[in-house]
Amino acid sequence: MDLTKKTLLDMLYYMKLTREIETRIERKLYRQGKIVGGVYVGRGQEAIAVGSTILLEKDDCICPSHRDMGAYLIRGMSPRVIFAQYMGRKTGATRGKDANMHMGDMSKNIVAFVSMLADTVPVAAGIGLSFKMRKQKQVVLCFFGDGATSRGDWHEGLNLASVQKVPAIFICNNNQYAYSTPIEKQMAVKDIAVRAQAYAMPGRTVDGNDVVAVYEATKTAIGHARLGGGPSLIECKTFRMTGHSAHDDVKYVPQHLFDEWEKKDPILRLETSLMRDKIATEEDVKRLAARIAREVDEAIALAENDPFPEPHEALEGVYADQVIKPPLSIADAFFPQRK
Amino acid sequence: MAPITYLEAIRQGIWEEMERDPNVFILGEDVGVYGGAFKLTEGLLDRFGEDRVIDTPISESAIVGAAIGAALMGMRPIAEMQFADFISCCFDQITNFAAKCRYRWGAGVPMVIRAPSGGGIHGGPFHSQNPEMYYVHTPGLKVVAPSTAYDAKGLIKSAIRDEDPVIYFEHKYLYRRIKEELPEEEYLVPIGKADFKRRGNDISVITYGAMLHNALEAATLLAEDGIDLEVLDLRTLVPLDKEKVLESVKKTSKVILLHEDVRTGGIAGELAAIIAEEAFEYLDGPIMRITAPDTPVPYSPVLEEFFLPKTSDIVRVAKQLAAY
Amino acid sequence: MAANVIMPQMGESIFEGTITRWLKKVGDSVKRDEPLFEISTDKVDSEIPAPASGVLSEIRVKEGETVQINTVVAVIDEQGRAQAPPPTEKAEGPHIAKSEAPSRAKTDKVEATQGVRSSPLVRRIAKVENVNLSELEGTGLGGRITKKDILGYLEERERVAEVTRPIVQQAAEEMAGTDGIETDRIEVVPMSVMRKSIAEHMVASRRTAAHVTTVFEVDMTRIVNLKNQYTQEFLSKEGIKLSYMPFFIKTVSAGLKEFPVVNASIQDTNIVYKKDINIGVAVALDWGLIVPVIKNADEKSFLGLARASVDLAERARKKRLTPEDVQNGTFTITNPGVFGSLLGAPIINQPQVAILCIGAITKRPVVINDAIAIRSMVYLTLTFDHRLIDGAVADQFMASIKVKLESWEEKLF
Repeated sequence: MDLTKKTLLDMLYYMKLTREIETRIERKLYRQGKIVGGVYVGRGQEAIAVGSTILLEKDDCICPSHRDMGAYLIRGMSPRVIFAQYMGRKTGATRGKDANMHMGDMSKNIVAFVSMLADTVPVAAGIGLSFKMRKQKQVVLCFFGDGATSRGDWHEGLNLASVQKVPAIFICNNNQYAYSTPIEKQMAVKDIAVRAQAYAMPGRTVDGNDVVAVYEATKTAIGHARLGGGPSLIECKTFRMTGHSAHDDVKYVPQHLFDEWEKKDPILRLETSLMRDKIATEEDVKRLAARIAREVDEAIALAENDPFPEPHEALEGVYADQVIKPPLSIADAFFPQRK
Repeated sequence: MAPITYLEAIRQGIWEEMERDPNVFILGEDVGVYGGAFKLTEGLLDRFGEDRVIDTPISESAIVGAAIGAALMGMRPIAEMQFADFISCCFDQITNFAAKCRYRWGAGVPMVIRAPSGGGIHGGPFHSQNPEMYYVHTPGLKVVAPSTAYDAKGLIKSAIRDEDPVIYFEHKYLYRRIKEELPEEEYLVPIGKADFKRRGNDISVITYGAMLHNALEAATLLAEDGIDLEVLDLRTLVPLDKEKVLESVKKTSKVILLHEDVRTGGIAGELAAIIAEEAFEYLDGPIMRITAPDTPVPYSPVLEEFFLPKTSDIVRVAKQLAAY
Repeated sequence: MAANVIMPQMGESIFEGTITRWLKKVGDSVKRDEPLFEISTDKVDSEIPAPASGVLSEIRVKEGETVQINTVVAVIDEQGRAQAPPPTEKAEGPHIAKSEAPSRAKTDKVEATQGVRSSPLVRRIAKVENVNLSELEGTGLGGRITKKDILGYLEERERVAEVTRPIVQQAAEEMAGTDGIETDRIEVVPMSVMRKSIAEHMVASRRTAAHVTTVFEVDMTRIVNLKNQYTQEFLSKEGIKLSYMPFFIKTVSAGLKEFPVVNASIQDTNIVYKKDINIGVAVALDWGLIVPVIKNADEKSFLGLARASVDLAERARKKRLTPEDVQNGTFTITNPGVFGSLLGAPIINQPQVAILCIGAITKRPVVINDAIAIRSMVYLTLTFDHRLIDGAVADQFMASIKVKLESWEEKLF
């Protein structure tokens, strides 16, 4: 394979960094009361975001979802900003305006998603449309789960992307469960990739826990798109190794599935194959883990001490050129009375 | 320039902006080859090509979603809803995605959604609605509704140049019914500024859209009875020009709020509250509303005529208010 | 420093949790992120890691206890740092939105409506322009006073004012001293303290009381004869000059006993009856006017009253009056008759409700039994406060004094 050592080691780094950050968020900070509200992690699915996003150039775009922390990290969002975001601080990606993974930054070409999952699919189609109209070579990766593919917007977006032949790659993280709904209750088809046929675009199913497989499938799709061939759909089969959110006790998932998929853990698999191919030693892996732990400790220490936004910032940023005035009841509490 | 229709004025505005800025493009159903259901975009495909005048599938969510995506990348899309009534199909994209981008993560969405709204054309419940208030109610959007050809052209240009999402409700009843002479030189009408279409001293009539013309008609009739109406055309619903509203009410002390939209949740309620809060001691009579009743828009001409506010309604209410 | 260990919120709708097991006890050392305790909630059972390193110094919530989220369940003493101030009840964290009921209520005074139908605009104009709406006629619906009505009224009022303004203006200017004229024909002298005080008191009294004056004519012949008869004896036996004043004070005291309301004062809507009859007698001074008071005049003899009035007048002229001498008067007598005035209409000395003015005693032809006789007559005027005293009462009071004076029987010594 033409995957360089560097790329493989980078992918390991990003997957392990993702795992460590998400563990701290879900199992420590949230339980310590330092994060309030909802917490959603992509435990066990790290290969999908990492294996695909690692291929992108600077001007390419991503529309990630909540299980794709690795994609944010690869595009340059720092762990400190992510922790600050989760803890609602001023230094977070949205300055406290939105929660958890609802992050975006157009300077890094990361589009923030909304809770109405699959809304980003037509948006990605539009982004692809702009590349096509301006005759640019960029591509856009759009991530979503199995659940999102049931929404109307998903179908409208794929349809428009395919009829307009835009350079978009639609990547489905099929982790087999949409909250408590298993895949069999969501759709009659066995593989989501089959739906690509309805939109006359290439559709592939890959092992989502094999980061190299994800890498190769995405590489093909990106090449196809850059040459003007239009969009593709890649279905990555994986398993959600945690609850839908941090407060979900997942009793509806049979334990044997967890046991089965534990063995197929993507990070473990990559580590094993790297050590087998003598690209990394056990020592290297241990040192990497320690380095990541240190990085994450530092990031948390900084983020924990970051300030919260000022209360009146709640009024800011609605428009580019209009100021929202506080209603009288709030004005008295926060602003001096002016007559 | 010879007088042109309201519809032609909008087309001119779009055309000029597309010439000026290569990032401006149109997408929607039947906008290209067909020239639009009302022929508003006729000629644009030939001039600007398929890339910039895109015929889409019937997918309002995808139309607006794609417009959002393109706008995030710095383009200036104009998404057309064939009838404003269909805007509900992409309610989520508009209110949850487009409206909240800047607030949440500082990303501007400089797109325009054009929506032909309003009744009086025998369109029935799904081709005559005035859905503006769902969007006036959503922070982060701008909503405009021109009443004259002059305003229509100036506002579409301002909307296209605005950095935030603008929903442009063009009143289909007015498309070909009004004709005005417009200036030769380029002009813009600012978003967020109301306009006094008639100055007077006795009663303020505050309105927008097609109802403006009913108000002006009523003013002429009432003048014969010695009642001098002041008519304020809002032009923009959000951001609201509260200053001019209060200025007018403080002058005349009597106000009629007029709109074709249904009564409950229409902007007359919002205006009445603002006036009561901020100009209570200037009122010499109760705040009056003239609106459509709380029903879907009926089809049969007899029923629709009953439904829509009429000039005679304005005259009657004005006389009662004047006598109070 | 102490680190608070709090009950976390495991899910958006969760608001409490139960501690099922403590994994450490008080005094144990604890490392950050190490499992510290286990909880159970409606949604999930969970192991909770320690938020800081140190020594577990306090466990506040026992196993089996259920507490609300954000409650401090334990405290970790982080080693090597000074003691922090006592921890607060709830841990500090992101604010959960509180809704506050609006504390501002717009209070529009009910008085503002003035009981007449108008509108907010009209009432505001009325308030600002000091218009009594009940004076206007409304042309609006149902007789409502409209904007046009009040603006019309104000225009008319302005027109009238236009005419009178120059006159009023000049007077005002002169009074305020803003006419700015000081020539050799005009000299401006600042008022003394006493003058200022009298000026204020007089105007205030006029503003407060409803002044009404009644006039009685009294035949003083009998008393004139008595006085002439005993002047010499008074002077040699008692060493004081006999004047008419004690005669008047005695009869007024008796009259006030008969008509206690004339000895009262008004407080808001209450009548304050006074048991003491303290009669003030106005004394004219070179530099002004003062009213020393004879306390409990009804308890004094004729001689006592004579002495008191002479003493007070003397001390007044010598500026030797004490504050008690001029306080707590309940009735005042003024005597401009000594200067020749026949009849006065004095201003009431607040807070009293009546004042008696004694004119000059002059010989006049009067009709008695249809024949003309020459008698010593005096005009007595009573100015009274009609808020409290009606004409009939005032006149009865005066009639009783007249009778007593005209038929003086008492011994002087």
